[in-house]
Amino acid sequence: MLLALGACDGGEQTASLEGSYTVYRHSMDGAPSNLDPARASNIYANFLVVNLYDTLYRYKYLARPYELEPNLAEHLPQVSVDGLTYTIRIKPGVHFIDDPVFREGKGRPVSARDFVYSIKRHFDPETRAEGAWLWQNRIVGLDEWKENGADYKQEVTGLRALDDRTIQIQLIAPYPQLLHTLTQGFSAIVPPEAVAFYGKELAVHPVGSGPYRLLSFNTASAVMVRNTGFRQEPFSLKNEGFNPALQSMYGLEHLEGLLPPFMDRIEVEFIAEDAARWNAFIAGELDFVKAPVSQFDQVLQSRDPPMLKPALADDFHFQASLESGFVHTDFNMDDQRIGYHPDPGQNARNKALRCAITKAFDWEKRNEIFYYGMGQVFAGIIPPVAPEFDPDQDKTAISRDLITARHLLRSHGWNAGNLPDLEIGFTSSVTERQMFEQFRSFMADIGYPRDKIHPLTFATYGDYAQAYLNREVMLMTIGWTMDYPDAENTIQLFYGPNASPGSNTANYNNEEFNRLYQASSTMSSSPIRTTMYRKMNRIVIEDCVTISGISRKLILLWNRDLAMLPDRSFLGGHFFRFAGRGEIKTKNKARR
Amino acid sequence: MKSPRTLTLSTVFASDPFEPGPKGSRAWYKLRQDKAGLFGLAIVAIFLVLTLGVFFGWLGQGWSVAGGGRWEPVSVDHWLGTNLLGQDIFQRAVFSLRTAFEIGLVVSLLSTLLGALLGVLAGWYNGEPGRTWVDGGILWFMGVLDSIPFYLFVAAVAYALQGWPWAMHIAMVATFWTTTGRLIRAEAMRIKSREFVLSARAIGLPTRLILLRHVLPNTLHILLVQATIAFVAAIKTEVILSFLGLGVQDSVSWGLMLAESTQEVLAGHFNNFLAASLMLFMLLLGFNLLADALQDAFDPRQASL
Repeated sequence: MLLALGACDGGEQTASLEGSYTVYRHSMDGAPSNLDPARASNIYANFLVVNLYDTLYRYKYLARPYELEPNLAEHLPQVSVDGLTYTIRIKPGVHFIDDPVFREGKGRPVSARDFVYSIKRHFDPETRAEGAWLWQNRIVGLDEWKENGADYKQEVTGLRALDDRTIQIQLIAPYPQLLHTLTQGFSAIVPPEAVAFYGKELAVHPVGSGPYRLLSFNTASAVMVRNTGFRQEPFSLKNEGFNPALQSMYGLEHLEGLLPPFMDRIEVEFIAEDAARWNAFIAGELDFVKAPVSQFDQVLQSRDPPMLKPALADDFHFQASLESGFVHTDFNMDDQRIGYHPDPGQNARNKALRCAITKAFDWEKRNEIFYYGMGQVFAGIIPPVAPEFDPDQDKTAISRDLITARHLLRSHGWNAGNLPDLEIGFTSSVTERQMFEQFRSFMADIGYPRDKIHPLTFATYGDYAQAYLNREVMLMTIGWTMDYPDAENTIQLFYGPNASPGSNTANYNNEEFNRLYQASSTMSSSPIRTTMYRKMNRIVIEDCVTISGISRKLILLWNRDLAMLPDRSFLGGHFFRFAGRGEIKTKNKARR
Repeated sequence: MKSPRTLTLSTVFASDPFEPGPKGSRAWYKLRQDKAGLFGLAIVAIFLVLTLGVFFGWLGQGWSVAGGGRWEPVSVDHWLGTNLLGQDIFQRAVFSLRTAFEIGLVVSLLSTLLGALLGVLAGWYNGEPGRTWVDGGILWFMGVLDSIPFYLFVAAVAYALQGWPWAMHIAMVATFWTTTGRLIRAEAMRIKSREFVLSARAIGLPTRLILLRHVLPNTLHILLVQATIAFVAAIKTEVILSFLGLGVQDSVSWGLMLAESTQEVLAGHFNNFLAASLMLFMLLLGFNLLADALQDAFDPRQASL
């Protein structure tokens, strides 16, 4: 009710902050290929999907650590005492955008049934959805619904619309991460009419109820314009978790009480090439850029603490933060040349080989060369941004030890003649190729012949992903951005039943690990669960399944005349609606 | 050309302008008078020697060793400095010669051979009763290939066959042969009405032998120039494809060095860019001068002036 009153009060201010048409020009280092929420499997697609569609929840714009905030949902859910039943009310009067899919082209109200339909789509084989893993074996009756032919007329016991505005979810077992999954683009709400009308074309014809609607989309850019029918909810710094001590320099205060979305138009440029993206930003063609590492020298006055050079600080806001994820190189355990082997003796030799490779990997050099020494190297699979990260962890696994590596090879009968040919998969880009060459030089230090380490290149990330999901890549380097702030999201990457084509691309399968994962997956955050997570982390390290890992430092720059705090963490993108033109003007007028 | 069997009819028609012996001598004489051509030949010779040095393992063998620091300047240890990984830029630039010559040779030989065979067949069967479909079919095929924008086609083939070490070679051969094919077709159409060919047909020499002994040998001047042009074009294309990530995969090439330099130049490091660009420039200059000189030397119209 308060929100509705506020909306009436602030209605005059919605058009723009300065009385003119406002445009925000964002840049990304990759392009989405599909804007269907069921297939929004990467950060690029998610950025757009959460602005074109509604999700039930999102994270507070400014609160750190992250806090959940109702989005389309009216409140946080009512949860039964046993943690199995969630009841969620959605806000009244929310409409889909006007589109020919609706009667007379007028967007109809969003209902609880639309949410039920949208989640069911993930379990419909015809959708070829990529987000089903979030709810697989979690919701009562949903997996059976799929097995019974995915008939939408058939009700799912654990996923029901009690009325137009009430959703009820019944879980098979407690699932503490459920609400986090409902912040993601995968859970965005799609009207059945749009799926029926556009079919596969839904990939480029989004019909949602988000703050923006799509104007154009191709491989180079996407343009979104304000959804004029978006619900009117005044911006509240307090509600969004504003921290004046850390965030007062971003000019956010004057947005207080205004109605998001603040920008009339969002232009997103997909520029994979670092140099081109950076040049476009410096030329004033973009408002935001993730600074390429090759530019860190030119951008930063100091690395620790990260400080912008004065000349740039006049024109740009900047933020340096660790990514909410990590980069790791996995061994394909399904490959008998290096992974599991039916012969126990060979199995042990393969493990020794993996451990030797891991020991020979020089994380310090990798960090220095490719991440300007600003990344954070850590042992295992729980990245520093996760609440369960152990800052006092043993660093042995990430310390280069050539003597041990050579000893492991020798003691297990490996020599230059019988070492297997290693195939390292990567997409064919300059940086990836340089990383490959660096890897090869690391291995040369333990006597791994250069001509036994080969690149397995792919033109696009899609081709690469398809290959490793088909278990065709021997060693694969993967960057994982966490879906939610819970280490479960990275630990599940090594859970046996999630093997490829699931998220466990290493095809790792350890009984003890699996048992611990199953036991912890129904637990809410607690010291006991954290202990279990860390134990699983150690198991992965001891089995030498992955060369891991590093969390990169992201240097984000944006125009000083923008009032916003961009965020790529946890499949970001929600911040677009809060991006506004600020009161502070850039000193370099030529840029605008 | 010195085979006695080949000379049987050529000697009868010694005055024929297509007879290769005297023409070859004239061409060599003309080539020696062409200073630019000789300069090109000298450049090619120097690069050839360097390439042989790489092939025999005397030069550039440490191209993949990351033995220096990041972006080290020019020094005694690293004549052209180092790249991001600390690899020696000089060694990489020199080793890239092997890549360039390997691709240049394979592509120019195969595309010239294919162009010669299909071109001579098309030219021979042009207007032959009952066999015009050979000419028509080959012409149609050439037309189809030529109608596709060159770099788009090469990139598409290289992309489709990516991961296969010969993808780039196939892509180039598939497109380069058509020009040679058209030139040889036209030449074959002219030659087949010459007296020595008519005589060969009159005495019942099989078509296969006429083509191999009397028609093809008399197109050598075209093939030589076309092979040189294809050689240069193959190197340029390889650099472009490698720059785009569709070319060389498990080696080094000037294209890869230039791709690396796109990030380095912005950070103020130009050695990679300069080394690759200058090597490429010099090699192309040398081959272009040589190709021009060869063209002039073998051109009958120039000879009559």
